[in-house]
Amino acid sequence: MTDNRPKVLVVDDAATVRLYHRTLLDEAGFEVAEAANGLEAVEAALSTAFDLFVVDVNMPKMNGYTCVETLRSETVGTPAPVLMISTEDRPGDADRAYAAGANLYLVKPVNAERLARVARMLTAGVAA
Amino acid sequence: MGLVRRNAPPPEETAAPPTTGTLMRQLDDADPDCRREAALGLGGVAEAVPALLRRVAAETDPLVRDAVLTTLAAHDTAAVATGLGGHLASDDAGLRTAAAEALATMPVSVPAIIPGLLADPDHDVRVMTAMVLADLPHPGSQTWLAQMIAEDDHPNVVTAAIDALLPSLELEHHDLLRAAVQRFPDDPFLRFTVEAALR
Amino acid sequence: MTSAATTGAGLSQADFEKFRDYFYKRTGIQFTSAKRYFVDKRIDACIRNSQFDTFTSWFAALRLNDRSDLLQELINQLTVNETYFLREDYQFDSMLRTVLPDVLALRGGPNRIVGPLKILSLPCSTGEEPYSIALRLLEEWDLIDRIDVEIHGADIDSDVLSRARHASYGERSLQRVPAKWREKYFTPLGAGRFQLDEGIRGAVTLHQVNICDTLAMRPFREFDVIFCRNVLIYFDELSSRRAAENLYGAMRPGGYLFLGHSESMSRISPIFTPTRLPEGIVYQRPIGANR
Ligand SMILES: C[S@@+](CC[C@H](N)C(=O)[O-])C[C@H]1O[C@@H](n2cnc3c(N)ncnc32)[C@H](O)[C@@H]1O
Repeated sequence: MTDNRPKVLVVDDAATVRLYHRTLLDEAGFEVAEAANGLEAVEAALSTAFDLFVVDVNMPKMNGYTCVETLRSETVGTPAPVLMISTEDRPGDADRAYAAGANLYLVKPVNAERLARVARMLTAGVAA
Repeated sequence: MGLVRRNAPPPEETAAPPTTGTLMRQLDDADPDCRREAALGLGGVAEAVPALLRRVAAETDPLVRDAVLTTLAAHDTAAVATGLGGHLASDDAGLRTAAAEALATMPVSVPAIIPGLLADPDHDVRVMTAMVLADLPHPGSQTWLAQMIAEDDHPNVVTAAIDALLPSLELEHHDLLRAAVQRFPDDPFLRFTVEAALR
Repeated sequence: MTSAATTGAGLSQADFEKFRDYFYKRTGIQFTSAKRYFVDKRIDACIRNSQFDTFTSWFAALRLNDRSDLLQELINQLTVNETYFLREDYQFDSMLRTVLPDVLALRGGPNRIVGPLKILSLPCSTGEEPYSIALRLLEEWDLIDRIDVEIHGADIDSDVLSRARHASYGERSLQRVPAKWREKYFTPLGAGRFQLDEGIRGAVTLHQVNICDTLAMRPFREFDVIFCRNVLIYFDELSSRRAAENLYGAMRPGGYLFLGHSESMSRISPIFTPTRLPEGIVYQRPIGANR
């Protein structure tokens, strides 16, 4: 039986954050895959059509902004919504995320209800 | 027609390699490819370290910056550790994460700058420090991470340190984790992380 | 050898997961839980061959002190380090079907291309990889009569290079070579050994080089396609980054890089652009001098 829940890719170098987001999004009705840095996310997105990306900022090999730019560039070219979640709350960070192509920028920690609500809102219309 | 053999060495093989002076000048060339090759060509050249450190700060092309950092990180010295440590506070996410990655490969000289980084007033810098310690192959890493978990007053720093410590978590750390939850009872992620780690 | 002092089936689930995460982070190779038994046995062998007597002390030495001898042994235990003809053949399919047509197009098309197509196998070990490339081009690429192709092989180890030069192989290595090709291109030497034709041996140029040595890699330039399979997993962070930089310098903009089946650049360096082909992911040197 194929899984027709919306597919989300959780991109974070911290294994605990991936587990946390995986648990919350799984409960919220998503099929969850993980990537540990921006490049892994790009490679994963080349093979699978995701319905949503949840992306951290500070990651080795490829940071979150570059990751989102690459997801939006012709290398991948995904139209799927991107939610960036970061520990940073310096002025300008959110603008940078939107300039890179993110749909929403949130600052950690994000509580369970909020993440579920935002994820559902961003993927509204994707068959569940 | 078909497979051809190349008998003579490629012309470049016979050309003399550029001198250190030439390479150092090329670090400021307008062509990024030229800068990239110069940075790699300066591998192992101690006198080029100051110029390479200046290039890290000025460079805008991520490909060139990566090459410069690959060369710099192989000089595991105090000057390089201090120079790169300063970039952990950078507003440029590409630069601060690339600097953290390079520092994580320098177990000889990074320990000396850790106390200063742990005391940095900017919690974002301390989060980046946890990222360095996660991968630094040094027996002291565990102790510093434990110290961050016990003492840092910012929850994001504490969770970053917990994440970094997890692969080498020992029984003796369990109380430390429980105490962290007590200190930040309102942080759902911290609670979740500690519960997962203690399971 | 000794029965005592081994972990046996005693590796806990938590230890296994820690190990799996570490190994993945270090090499990009992933094990599913289905492989648990196999992995346990190989780890056991590594611990027995080391001077440590518990998983914990062995793992700490591996991780904290970054002991490359321990890592090398571990990788050898957990991967196939023997090379053979037509290994991971789907990548050669990819080269013929997708990569060479694209490279030709980048260089002005089959009628306008200036200079030969250049292909590098690094590391080439005992030669099976570059010779496989030669055989598949001769047998299956319809443009081979119109276009010059240079094939180079390189390795750090002079012993494997002299064996590559002699090009005599046994059954294990030739297993996947079709009988027709074997008749056409190999001469039996007796005792189950077969030697590759002088024509092909002579067409492949072999070099000794350390992939991490930037100066030694300088003469390698303008390659259209590079195979760098099953070596980067052995390197530490800085060496693999330097190797990636050197490969980049050896390629033409738009050139293609194949890594081993279980390898990925995502653990090494972001300087290449990953590209999806029908047969899997390959890497390209970005086309602009600058991205
Ligand atoms: C497992 S073989 C891979 C052969 C072939 N590419 C394949 O996939 O079947 C690994 C080879 O890497 C070579 N090697 C190891 N370190 C190297 C280095 N620094 N530079 C070049 N070659 C190296 C070894 O000599 C060995 O022949």
